[in-house]
Amino acid sequence: MSLLSLKDVRVQFNTSGGVVRAVNGVSLDLAVGETLGLVGESGCGKSTLGKAIMKLVPVAGGEIVVEGVDIAPLNREQLTDMRRKVQMIFQDPYGSLNPRSTVGRSVAQPMVLAGWKANATAERVETLLRWVGLPSDAKQRYPHEFSGGQRQRIGIARALALSPKLIICDEPVSALDVSVRAQVINLLEDLKSQFGVSYLFISHDLSVVEHIADRVAVMYLGMLFEVGGRDQIWRDPRHPYTKALLAAAPIANPKLARARQRTVLQGELPSPLNPPPGCPFNSRCPLAQDRCRAEKPVLRPVGNGAQAACHFV
Amino acid sequence: MQRFEFLGRFSRNRGALVGACLILVVALMAAFASVFFPTDPLRIVGMPELWPGEDPEFPLGTDSLGRDILSMIVHGARATLLIGLFASAVATLIGVSVGAAAGYFGGWVDEIGMRVAELFQTIPNLIFVLTIVVILGSTLTNIVIAIGIVSWTPIARMTRAEFLSLRDREFVQACRSMGMSDLRIIVSEILPNALPPVIVLSSLVVAGAILFESAVSFLGLGDPNVASWGRLVGDGRQLIRSSWYICAIPGIAIMITVLCLNLVGDGLNDALNPKLRDR
Repeated sequence: MSLLSLKDVRVQFNTSGGVVRAVNGVSLDLAVGETLGLVGESGCGKSTLGKAIMKLVPVAGGEIVVEGVDIAPLNREQLTDMRRKVQMIFQDPYGSLNPRSTVGRSVAQPMVLAGWKANATAERVETLLRWVGLPSDAKQRYPHEFSGGQRQRIGIARALALSPKLIICDEPVSALDVSVRAQVINLLEDLKSQFGVSYLFISHDLSVVEHIADRVAVMYLGMLFEVGGRDQIWRDPRHPYTKALLAAAPIANPKLARARQRTVLQGELPSPLNPPPGCPFNSRCPLAQDRCRAEKPVLRPVGNGAQAACHFV
Repeated sequence: MQRFEFLGRFSRNRGALVGACLILVVALMAAFASVFFPTDPLRIVGMPELWPGEDPEFPLGTDSLGRDILSMIVHGARATLLIGLFASAVATLIGVSVGAAAGYFGGWVDEIGMRVAELFQTIPNLIFVLTIVVILGSTLTNIVIAIGIVSWTPIARMTRAEFLSLRDREFVQACRSMGMSDLRIIVSEILPNALPPVIVLSSLVVAGAILFESAVSFLGLGDPNVASWGRLVGDGRQLIRSSWYICAIPGIAIMITVLCLNLVGDGLNDALNPKLRDR
């Protein structure tokens, strides 16, 4: 049984300009102990999908199954059990901690809400801060006294508080300096090997995802275009969008960079208010034909163990 | 650490420092009124209409009935400050509750809360206070409640604006993702962050409340058992041509106190909203 299983998840927002389908029928499985990288351009709905799994945004349709329980229809009280299993690390380490709470209080919150005794909570806070490599006197201090990387560690400590099985990492290193990024990623990997926690790692930074993910899902305008093992996706991308995305990532070695063939995408990401009919990528796709403008592709196996949503691969 | 920073920023504003000191003097006066003047201030103690300085026993003179004005001012400080503080507390309580609910929940809660606030804002404040006092009766409690009822709208708007900007911040989402209840998020997470500008506004409402109470008392609708400054002004108004000091002395006391409260409000604004200071 997979830890997390999404079936045709939909999220939509009613705006003054019309209905935005931020997540438009996403199906995905995440196994125990696995790190799944979710990549895509800004505005493609990857963060919204993460928030939908946390029930931070209303789910318009589909199933979100955590260890066999569909959490989509549950209310706040019924979600208590799931809250222990699934936690989230946020993008902005400056915004994700209450500026008027001490670090100790912020990290202790999950235990307090779970009804732990005061001394057990204090002990747990000490342990968590040690795990993420912060001095234990950090708990009396306020978030503004810490650097971005340290604050992200505080956020990680808080997410780990109740030993979750899955942590949704919403761009956890995007706001950090490159030097600090590596430290935080290494910390996440250490915690994974130590506690067997799974990650849904949302990022637009392909090099980070290549480093940390076991499997990768590529998202575009609210739907998945390609899902597969990291090596398959990197070595043998099938979907034209994945190809273009990987070609756009910089390569450190200039010889390799010059040698590679690049498909450069034309145009902008279409407005999610008014996506093109059929395949949402048809306005920018080099392979697009009439069928793409009429019929929406679905994910199907493409031979190398990966799945892609394209009529012509 | 944070305390000292706060005091440092506050005292950098000279006006606020002076204001705070004078308010402290008035507050001490109010607290120790019965030590300085153990007798009832409304008792007739000397000749009527003695000008200030005429009789060393009554440095600020006596009123039309021969009551000691200094004693009445000192005792009146108590009533005036208490009315200001409690009215502001009532206004803050209503304003923060309505504003927090409107800002946090949005949607129809917001609609209703803000429409009600607008309804209150369309009625001229003083007329509204007088109407409530006339209906409920002229007791101190009713005056305090009436002033609170007309003064909550700016606080509600300010609180709502703060909540609107805070409710989608990631730390609030983090709390929601832990399954924290809405009430707890509002009270223990968002409110401490929303309070600084609200405190500034509340301190200004204290000043406004003192003025309202003075106006009510001046018009003769004040609590007859309480010697507030506004009532002293009102009592002296028949003699304003001959013995104008009877009105002027409590009037100056009101003016100085309200001015100081405004200065303190500005100082609090500087100290609590450091980002806006250099604007």
